[in-house]
Amino acid sequence: MNPFVVWLESFSRFVSLPAAWGIFVAGAVIYVINAWRIRFLALVVQYLFIGVLFTRVFDTRPEMAIMKITVGWLICGALLVSARYRSQALPGSRQLVRWAANLPFRVLILAAGTVIAWLASQRFALPFVSADLGLACLLLTVLAILFFGTEEADPGVVGVGILNLLAALDIFYSAQDPGLLVTGLLVVVNLLVGLATSYLMVTEVAT
Amino acid sequence: MTLSGPVFIVGVLMAVAGILQVLRRWTGLMAWASVAVTGAVGALIALVPLDQTFTLGPLSVAPGEPFVLLGRVVVIDAVDRLPLMFICFTALGLFIVAWRLLPHSNFYPAGLAIVALLAGALMVQQVVYAALLVEMAVILGIFPLHEPVIGPDGSRYGGQARGGLQYMTYATLALPGLMITQLLLEQFAIFPSDLGLLQSATILLGLSFAMLLGAVPFQSWLSTVATDGSPPVVTFLFTVTLGTVWFLLLAYLEAYSWLSDQAAFSSLFTVVGLLMMVVGGVLAASQRKLGRIVGYATLVDNGAMFVALGTHQTAGLALTAVMLAARPFSLALMTLGLDGMRRLGQGDDHVDRLVGAAWTAPWRTLAFMVGGVAMAGFPLSLGFSARWGLYRLLTQTNLFQAILALGGSAGVMMGLVSTMRVLLAANRGQVPAKQSTEDPIVLVLIIALIGATLVLGVFPQLVSQLALQMAQEFTFFAQ
Repeated sequence: MNPFVVWLESFSRFVSLPAAWGIFVAGAVIYVINAWRIRFLALVVQYLFIGVLFTRVFDTRPEMAIMKITVGWLICGALLVSARYRSQALPGSRQLVRWAANLPFRVLILAAGTVIAWLASQRFALPFVSADLGLACLLLTVLAILFFGTEEADPGVVGVGILNLLAALDIFYSAQDPGLLVTGLLVVVNLLVGLATSYLMVTEVAT
Repeated sequence: MTLSGPVFIVGVLMAVAGILQVLRRWTGLMAWASVAVTGAVGALIALVPLDQTFTLGPLSVAPGEPFVLLGRVVVIDAVDRLPLMFICFTALGLFIVAWRLLPHSNFYPAGLAIVALLAGALMVQQVVYAALLVEMAVILGIFPLHEPVIGPDGSRYGGQARGGLQYMTYATLALPGLMITQLLLEQFAIFPSDLGLLQSATILLGLSFAMLLGAVPFQSWLSTVATDGSPPVVTFLFTVTLGTVWFLLLAYLEAYSWLSDQAAFSSLFTVVGLLMMVVGGVLAASQRKLGRIVGYATLVDNGAMFVALGTHQTAGLALTAVMLAARPFSLALMTLGLDGMRRLGQGDDHVDRLVGAAWTAPWRTLAFMVGGVAMAGFPLSLGFSARWGLYRLLTQTNLFQAILALGGSAGVMMGLVSTMRVLLAANRGQVPAKQSTEDPIVLVLIIALIGATLVLGVFPQLVSQLALQMAQEFTFFAQ
């Protein structure tokens, strides 16, 4: 086996648990800070960690993990452009850092979600995937549900929730069936979700 | 060079969609090119036998030949022909309707791409790929759904994002269930004695289809999409996309006979369907927004289809097919009416904003009402024949269920009647007393659709024979 692939495999095994929690922390930043610049950076970091987890799924094909990161960053770029347009169109949304309006509630919900995901990963191990990948899938799903339930008017937040759910599904499904066709179709779905979210962010304020 | 049928169908639709995306300046060209290509593909599926090959210049097309991509098989089976014809001809009709309503819209290229993806979903053999293709079609539909509408005076309205966002969310929530079902079925093939795998697959598949079809309690996207979305695109999604999801459900019931063999199958479908009809009827009766009535009428119609399947009879399956065939006519009429009302209300379809609108836009009001009556399953319409058949079928086993189903339909009718009272009231100045001259082509379309609805209402056998023929091709209730 290629020495780089062997090194990558041992590296990804070592960092996958921190990466799972890194995904969650990045998601938490998106959830509690209502400023598009910070959210953009957090999403970029989240996709980096998701890519690290994919090196465990595609252990002999690291190029697939790199593709996942690249696609994620492309989506981040599209969301960034739309968020800039939106912030210019809406008055009072250009502050650098702004906490979410109901911060204590969000922190509480986030903490509860974390505990639930952690306990679920300990008690009900997901089939077909290792424990750290299972934890990442559960944390991403919890984040997705939190984003779906947000009261914010910004479609970008719900869009990020959809992307997180797709990432959880992607990790879970690819671990069992790492076929090129499913991976390719999931990449297209991710890109389309990113584009549609960007479009909705813009079209809502353009009318 | 010989092309297989699936490659030809998907390739032609996608190629024309790509070309039309750069020709958005010419609405007529886009609309009629879309009509021509969907008509041609529909005719090909209807007329050319699957075992024959036909030549198109240097190309030979073998419709029945499978296409294999990385070991995955895509093929047109005999049972796929009617669903494929349904989505092609429904899309054709809606492209004509949209011609005068959506100038320079991306509905035409996006619509063709959606038809291509949904055709692919119907032709592909594995659940996981069908699920991913449907998801893509749903997301593509969001672009024209929330495209702002430009009025003749240059005013812009629409573009609210909530409907599309909810639709995308529910479709994505349905995706894991469908994809994991595929994994469970593969596991079951290895461990055929593990019946727990089948039970899990049944639950996941059921939940996923419930979300995709807007079953209670996942119904909120139906009304939000109908309220926020562009009317012709809403109709496209509620007929072509939802129609494909229905056909996929039937295909899975056929392919995985253990699904319909489950003891709870009939009662589950009946309870879910009746719940949808009752909830939809109650909500429709209390609505003050025309778009929401469209959404809840669709919920009731979907519920009626679930109830028809719950009868566990071939006749019920045929009734499902008739309701599916009736929907494009009734929803297209409602679309034409709703579009006119929204234009009058500057994008707002709340009845308080449209007091007396019937005197300003009588044809649009008539279209909305006739379409609504047909959607509610009242005479004279094809929907009535199907619902009447359903009530009769239900009465044979349980009169109370028939009354509940009738109550759901009556709720939609009550919503329409209370809306009509406001639209027919004296104009209090919320809408202009005199509308700019109605587009004659829109008038022709309204008259043609009303005529078709009435003719099919008087002679339902024109469709019911075809529906029965389709139902007999599915054997899961006969086993």
